[in-house]
Amino acid sequence: MEFDVIFGNAARAGLGPQAAIFALAAIGLNLHFGYAGLLNFGQVGFMMLGAYGTAIMVATWGGSLWLGIPFGLGLCVAFALALGIPTLRLRSDYFAITTIAAAEILRLLIRSSPATDITGGPFGLQAIANSFFDLNFLPDGRFGWGTFSYSSNQLWVMIVAWILVVLCSALVLALIRSPWGRVVRAIREDEDAVLSLGKNTVAYKLQALVIGGVIGGLAGVIDALQQSGVGSENFEPQVTFFAWAALILGGLATTVGPVVGAVLFWFLREGVESFIRELSEQGWLPDILADFLDGAEGAISIALMGVGLVALMALRPQGIFGRRRDLHLGT
Amino acid sequence: MSDTTTMRPELTEAALEAAPPGRLKDDPILITFGMLKTFGGIRAVDIDHLEIERGTITAIIGPNGAGKTTLFNLLTGFDRPDRGSWRLDGRSLGGQPPHRIARLGMVRTFQLTKSLSRLTVLENMAVAAQTQRGERLERALLRWLWQPEEGRVRERAEALLERFGLAHMVDEQAGTLSGGQRKLLEMARALMADPTLVMLDEPTAGVNPALTESLLEHIRELNAEGVTIVFVEHNMDVVMDISDWVVVMAQGRILTEGPPQDVVANEEVIDAYLGRPRDPADGEDAEDA
Repeated sequence: MEFDVIFGNAARAGLGPQAAIFALAAIGLNLHFGYAGLLNFGQVGFMMLGAYGTAIMVATWGGSLWLGIPFGLGLCVAFALALGIPTLRLRSDYFAITTIAAAEILRLLIRSSPATDITGGPFGLQAIANSFFDLNFLPDGRFGWGTFSYSSNQLWVMIVAWILVVLCSALVLALIRSPWGRVVRAIREDEDAVLSLGKNTVAYKLQALVIGGVIGGLAGVIDALQQSGVGSENFEPQVTFFAWAALILGGLATTVGPVVGAVLFWFLREGVESFIRELSEQGWLPDILADFLDGAEGAISIALMGVGLVALMALRPQGIFGRRRDLHLGT
Repeated sequence: MSDTTTMRPELTEAALEAAPPGRLKDDPILITFGMLKTFGGIRAVDIDHLEIERGTITAIIGPNGAGKTTLFNLLTGFDRPDRGSWRLDGRSLGGQPPHRIARLGMVRTFQLTKSLSRLTVLENMAVAAQTQRGERLERALLRWLWQPEEGRVRERAEALLERFGLAHMVDEQAGTLSGGQRKLLEMARALMADPTLVMLDEPTAGVNPALTESLLEHIRELNAEGVTIVFVEHNMDVVMDISDWVVVMAQGRILTEGPPQDVVANEEVIDAYLGRPRDPADGEDAEDA
């Protein structure tokens, strides 16, 4: 049993751009739900708009990447307003239902045949990130050792992605500690009470939705950059729920929670998958089980993550960094 | 927004004279005219005319389902009437959202206390302070713009908490307070918003007698400082004790109004609400429409 290989694979996933992308998505969700109490089940919609906005500007319209990124994030703002203005006056359940439906409708539209000329339909868009890698000041060649060996461009993406994670965490922290953040957290506790004190709660919820959505859009931009392309299959609804899993794992309404949660999520997911693969390669599994698992390691890994999350909810429902007492005070 | 402009009868002297029940006051802070709210076929609130005198303590009493809380919701913008107009200090409030009504000086509390559980007691108070620069998103990151103001907010909040006997809880999460302390906090928080008119929905429900006494003392003090108070209450001892004026509601309408002594002697009120052999359990009933 090669535990160093398993651990290496797991750690590589936990540090990789995917983890950073999910950390960003979870930071946005944390602002939405952890602080403002908005149940957003459509975070993937924001990621998709960030990614596709960037890619369409570059690949379809031949524009600059530096125009494409703000364009993608601008689409996220528009999406947040379109989602929020009609639904944030209603009870929070309606908002939650709308978000999941809107994100999925968006994905189906993007991959539909009439949209192919713009979005590439089922084929997606490619070769969009050249200007991003032109900025890479790292020398060519490989960095690191063993499992942790990265090409110059891979390392460049990771550095930029993790810097963004730090910046967004700091941004959310600063916002939430301001009087603005106090109103937002108060709305999470009881919107009517805040209304009765003269605050326009819908405006605050809308602002929180836009900011968290743009952070989610940033996650999509990084995703587009790291693969130098976009494809609608990367934006299925489970992406949102992986981000939720990361957030809950780390702890709601904490600063490091979404980041550590995302790292741990990818670490465990890859670790379990490697472990199962290793088990069958070593022939330690009974044949019948090995046949069953063959090629399904990823799916089994996710199923086990689900079991793990259930256990977490039972044993430590506040997540790793959350405060247990807050759960009992919840309204 | 709503149809108040077309439906609103002019509040001329003549119109007021012609209005049935609802006595004219010398210096009304709140005037309500033709307020109707139906739920299905039920007329939850159907008030032709109601005035609240400035600087007084007015109690609204009536059986469960009389429409007292609905009236509160309508006046404070939490619910919309089918028709009707009302003015606070001469400013029309019809169609205004609740936060704007609160900003104009009418601040309410709720029957079921709404403390912001996972915020500290101090934060509960600070949220209520009006026109804070740091509450605007564009200034939230510019700490130096709102830091001095935060200090002033904190000072005011601490002074109020001191007065309400909550000073020792400043940094505790509000969810850890007892039921009575939450009632006190909610009242202190309402004051933090600098209201001219405070609407208290059953301020003493579920509060022990000693704390009730202290709550009433706070209400009297506030009133002495010039704040007008309207409250819904089932406990007749409380009503008799602190109110200057009593409005009796039944089935959405105003049955009668007057000074407390007159009202309790009124035959109609006895039939509709107080009951003939006075039942002390009456005041315990916390449920209302």
